[in-house]
Amino acid sequence: MTGVHDLGGSPGGPIDMSQHEVEDWERLADAVNAALGGKGLQTTDELRRAIESLENYKELGYYERWTAATELLLIEKGILTREEIDERSADLRRRWGVA
Amino acid sequence: MTTFEPGDRVRVRPSDKTGHVRTPDYLKGKTGWIESVRGEFRNPEDLAYGLSGRPERPLYKVGFRQADLWGDYEGPADDYLYADVYAHWLERYEGETV
Repeated sequence: MTGVHDLGGSPGGPIDMSQHEVEDWERLADAVNAALGGKGLQTTDELRRAIESLENYKELGYYERWTAATELLLIEKGILTREEIDERSADLRRRWGVA
Repeated sequence: MTTFEPGDRVRVRPSDKTGHVRTPDYLKGKTGWIESVRGEFRNPEDLAYGLSGRPERPLYKVGFRQADLWGDYEGPADDYLYADVYAHWLERYEGETV
């Protein structure tokens, strides 16, 4: 097995087939990724590689993986720093009154 | 790098290469046949790390008998699985055909 994602053929148990309404942040995650791709800053293969490297892969949902992986790539490429992302997150949490 | 034609018998290399690998673990070391040629594409194993992925490599639709993939397969003998596999993951298979 090359990673946590490569689980074809292993015992999986029942699959949760339930659907959910797409949330705004998920649309935004998709849009940010499309924009990064469009500007040549990120490729699908890089995103997949970063997703596969997430230590908490199994705890995250689909777009949570996209978002966490995009953060890794933006830092890796020197486009943003972790400090800038953390500061902005803290700022938004304060503004929106979220813990 | 060997290239293949539809109908050629092939074996997926049992490589334990790490990193971003598109060939699923359950196919490694398994034998099948070239069903068709998908075209030539940049190598995702390199693209995943910001490299050019060139030269482009042939990608094949490869057929496998389900019974050859899973030791305990109980379905019909003509159940097949098709997967896209790059040329560098394949080697010619001259062994006994099943």
